[in-house]
Amino acid sequence: MNEQTLPQLFLSQAQKYGANRVAVREKELGIWREFSWQDSYEQVKFFALGMIALGLQRGDHVCSIGDNDREYLWGFLGVQAVGAAVVGMYTDAIPSEMEYVINHSDATFALAQDQEQVDKLLELKGKTPKLKKVIYWDDRGMWGYDDEWLISFAEVQALGRELDKKEPGRFETEVALGQAEDTALVCYTSGTTGLPKGVMLTHHNLLSAAQCAFSIDPRYETDNHVSFMPMGWIAEPAFGIVPHCYAGMVMNFPEEPETVRENIREIAPDNLFYSARLWENLVGMVQVRMKDAAWLNRKLYDWFLPIGYQMADKKFSKEKPGIGLQAAYKVGDWLVFRPLRGQLGMSRLRGAYTAGATLSPDHLRFFHALGINLKQIYGSTEVTGGATQHRDGDIKFASVGVANPDIEIRVSDEGELQISGPIVMKGYYKNAEATAKDILVDEDGRRWFKTGDAGYIDEDGHVIFQDRLKNMIRLANGEVFSPQFVEGRLKFSPYIRDAMAIGSTDRDYVTAMIIIDFENVGHWAEKQRIGYTTFVDLSQKPQVYELIQTAVDEVNKTLPEGARIRRFVLMHKEFDADEAEMTRSRKLRRDVLADRYCEIVEAMYNGREAVQVRAPVKYQDGSEGFVETQVRVMGV
Amino acid sequence: MNSNADLLSVQNVSLSFGGNAALSDVSFAVRKGEIRAIIGPNGAGKTSMLNCISGFYRPQKGQVLFQGTDLTQTPTHKIAPLGIARTFQNIALYTGLSTLDNLMAARHIHMKQNGLQSMLYWGAARREEVAHREKVEEIIDFLEIEHIRKAIVGALPYGLRKRVELGRALALEPEMLLLDEPMAGMNVEEKEDMARFILDIHELRGVTIVLIEHDMGLVMDISQRVVVLDFGRKIAEGTPAEIKHDERVIHAYLGEQ
Repeated sequence: MNEQTLPQLFLSQAQKYGANRVAVREKELGIWREFSWQDSYEQVKFFALGMIALGLQRGDHVCSIGDNDREYLWGFLGVQAVGAAVVGMYTDAIPSEMEYVINHSDATFALAQDQEQVDKLLELKGKTPKLKKVIYWDDRGMWGYDDEWLISFAEVQALGRELDKKEPGRFETEVALGQAEDTALVCYTSGTTGLPKGVMLTHHNLLSAAQCAFSIDPRYETDNHVSFMPMGWIAEPAFGIVPHCYAGMVMNFPEEPETVRENIREIAPDNLFYSARLWENLVGMVQVRMKDAAWLNRKLYDWFLPIGYQMADKKFSKEKPGIGLQAAYKVGDWLVFRPLRGQLGMSRLRGAYTAGATLSPDHLRFFHALGINLKQIYGSTEVTGGATQHRDGDIKFASVGVANPDIEIRVSDEGELQISGPIVMKGYYKNAEATAKDILVDEDGRRWFKTGDAGYIDEDGHVIFQDRLKNMIRLANGEVFSPQFVEGRLKFSPYIRDAMAIGSTDRDYVTAMIIIDFENVGHWAEKQRIGYTTFVDLSQKPQVYELIQTAVDEVNKTLPEGARIRRFVLMHKEFDADEAEMTRSRKLRRDVLADRYCEIVEAMYNGREAVQVRAPVKYQDGSEGFVETQVRVMGV
Repeated sequence: MNSNADLLSVQNVSLSFGGNAALSDVSFAVRKGEIRAIIGPNGAGKTSMLNCISGFYRPQKGQVLFQGTDLTQTPTHKIAPLGIARTFQNIALYTGLSTLDNLMAARHIHMKQNGLQSMLYWGAARREEVAHREKVEEIIDFLEIEHIRKAIVGALPYGLRKRVELGRALALEPEMLLLDEPMAGMNVEEKEDMARFILDIHELRGVTIVLIEHDMGLVMDISQRVVVLDFGRKIAEGTPAEIKHDERVIHAYLGEQ
C-alpha cells in the first residue's frame, strides 16, 4: 500500500468509486440522503482549500466539537488533508474544559456544529488567543449572529472554490505531502487525576491499528457503519472514519442522537461497537420486551432460549454440537432469534464488540445464544483504541481476548500489562514528563506503553484484565490481588449478590464476606426441599454454604495459587446504603465495612468456626435496633 | 390605535356566561410580527379572550378583526384557513394517532385533491402528499421530535405532547399563533426548550404570536408587549418593563399591602 495517511487513502477510494458508489448516508427529514464518493471528495477538497485560504498551516491543530454528521467527517478529513491534526472534543464539554483543551493544544481553528457549541466558544472569546476562527455548519438559531470570528462551513468552501480556480491541483498536492509520522489526531484523555493529557496519534498509528484489527475481522466496501459514538473518543475515528477510508465502508449518520437505536435498525450495520453498559441495558430491554410480547412469541422465546444457551455453551467449550441440537437451533433461529436480531438492527451483524468493563458471562452467553457474535476488546487511547480482541470461536469469559497481530503484550514484574507495536502513540502533547513516565523504551528500542492496568496472560495467550494497578493489594506472601476483580468474579454466580474480598500486607491469604442472592438461593432451596424462614436463616444453612463453596471453587480455579480465597462467611444481612455500607450507586464502602465487621474478619484469620454477631441496623422508619445471630466461617 | 401594521385588533369585546361577565369591554391590538403575552391572575379571562379570537366563543359585544375580517362573524371552521392556529391548555390531539399522522392531519386545510383522488394515491394526489410530508418533516426537524415520529401520541410524556401540539399548529402554516399556556406543567428544562422554540418560530418563520402564560419570568423574557387582565377587564398594557412596575398589576397579583 502506497498510501501513508488517511486523506491519501480517502483520495484513492474517491478516485476508485467516483460517483457510482455511496460513501456517506445521513437521515434528514425522515429520509436517508446519500452522498457518493465524488460528492464527498468535493466537500472535503473545497473545505480543505478554504482552510488554507484562511491560513491553516501544516502541523496546526484544529479543535472539533459536534454530533456525528457528514460535515464533521468532511471537516475532519479536510483538516488532515492539509497536514493539520484534529483535536476531538465531547459535545457536553463545559466552556472551562474547552478552554483548557483549546489553549493546551494550541488550536488555531475550531469546528463547532451549532449554536450550542458556538455559544460556548463565544463565551471564551478573548481567553483563547490562538484561535483565529470558529467554523459552524448548523445555522439554526444563528441568523442574528454577527461576529467576525464566526464563519460558516459553506463560506469556507466558497473560499476553497476560489482557491481551486487559481490553483487547480493544489488539493492533491497537499494530500500527497502528508507523511505517515504526521500527527493525525489528538485525543484528550479524561484523566481521573490531574489535568487531561493530549494523546498524539499519527497516521501510521491509525492505519496500523486498522491493519492489525482488520486482519482478524476484515471490513469490506459493502459494509455499513452507523456512526454514533462520541467523535471525541478514539473509538469512533478508529472504528468508523479509518475503515471508511481504509476499506471503503459506508458511513451512516443518524438523524438525531435520540434516534440512534431506530436508525441502527434501519441500516442493520455489519459491525457494532457498544460499551459494556449498553450491552447490559440491551439484555434488560430484550427481557422486558419479551415479557410484554404476545403469548405465542413469549412461549417460543421461553422454549428456544435454553437451546440457544446450549448452542452458545458448545461454542464456548469448542465442542461440536450434536445434529439434534443443531436442528433445534436452526428452527429456533428461524422462529425467534432471527426476528429478534432484526428488531435490534443486528440482522447483518458479523461482529459485535464491547470494551471498557468486562461483560459478565451471563450477558455474553445471552447474546451468543441469540446468534450475536459478541467479542471483547481491550485497549486505550494511547494504543489507538484496541490491542486485543476475542477471535471467532475462541471466546473466554474471563479474558479480553488475544493480542492482535503485530502487537505484543507483556506483564511486568509489578503485574502491569504493557503493550508494544505500531499502535503505540507518539506521546502526550507538550508533556514530555508524562510521556517518559508512560512509555518505556527497552534495550532493543521497542516502545512499550505502560497501561497502569494489572493483569496476566494465560496459557492460551488470552489476556486477563484485573483492575487498575493502583487498586491492587499485596499480601504478606508477596502475591498481589485485586479485590474488585475477585468480587466481580464471585458475582458472576447467580447465587451471590454482593461480596467483599479482604486481604492486606499483614495477612497471608484472601478471605471474603459473601452476601447470597436471596431470591435465587431461596428458589434453589425450595427446589431442594430445604425449609427456611428469613434471610439470616437461609444464609446460615449448611447446604447453602456448600452451594456457595462450589461457586468459590470455580472462581479460585481462575486465580493464581497465592491469591485464592481460603475462607469465607455468608453474611447474615445485606450491605445497605441506608447504613452507609455502600454508596447509592452500590459501590462498597470498604473502610466502613471492615470496621463494622472487624470481628468477622478477625475470625476468618484466627481460625474460629463461628462468630456471634450483634449488628446494628437502622430501620427504614429511622429507629435503630440490633440483630443477634451466629455467623459460620467456612474454610475452602 | 388602529394602525395599518395591526394584524389583530380586539375592539370593546364583552363576553358573559349568564350573569357572569368573563370579559368586559376589552380592547387591544397586536402588531404584525410581535410576541404578545396576555397575563392575569386565575379567572381573569385570559383563556376566554383567546377563545373569542379563535372563534370558540362568540362575544356578545365588540369585534375581533383579523386583517380586516371580523372573526366574531366567521364560522369556526373557516378561521384556520385565514391563517390562525392555536394550542390548548389541556392538549387536544388525536391520542390514538402517531405524531406524524397528527401533523399530517393538520395539513388538510392546504390539501386540494378530493377524497377519491387521495384514495387512489396517484398522480397529483401522490405529489401533493409527498409535498405535505416534506413540510411536516421540516416541522419535525425544527421541533426536534424525530425520535417520536412514529410514536402514538397518547403514550407520550406531557412535555412532548405539548411539543407535538405546537407542531400541529405550525403545520397549518399560520400567520398568527395562539398559545394557551404553552409551558404549564413543565419542568424548568422543558420550559426553556419551549421558550427557545417560540423565539425560533418567531424569528425564523416570522409568525405573530399571542400567548397566555403563568410563568411571569418567562413571559417577561420572551414577549415584546403584555396585556394584563383582571376580572375580565384590561388593567394595563405595555412593555414587560413597564408592566413590572405598574401599580395596578402589582396590586392585582399581590393584593392589598
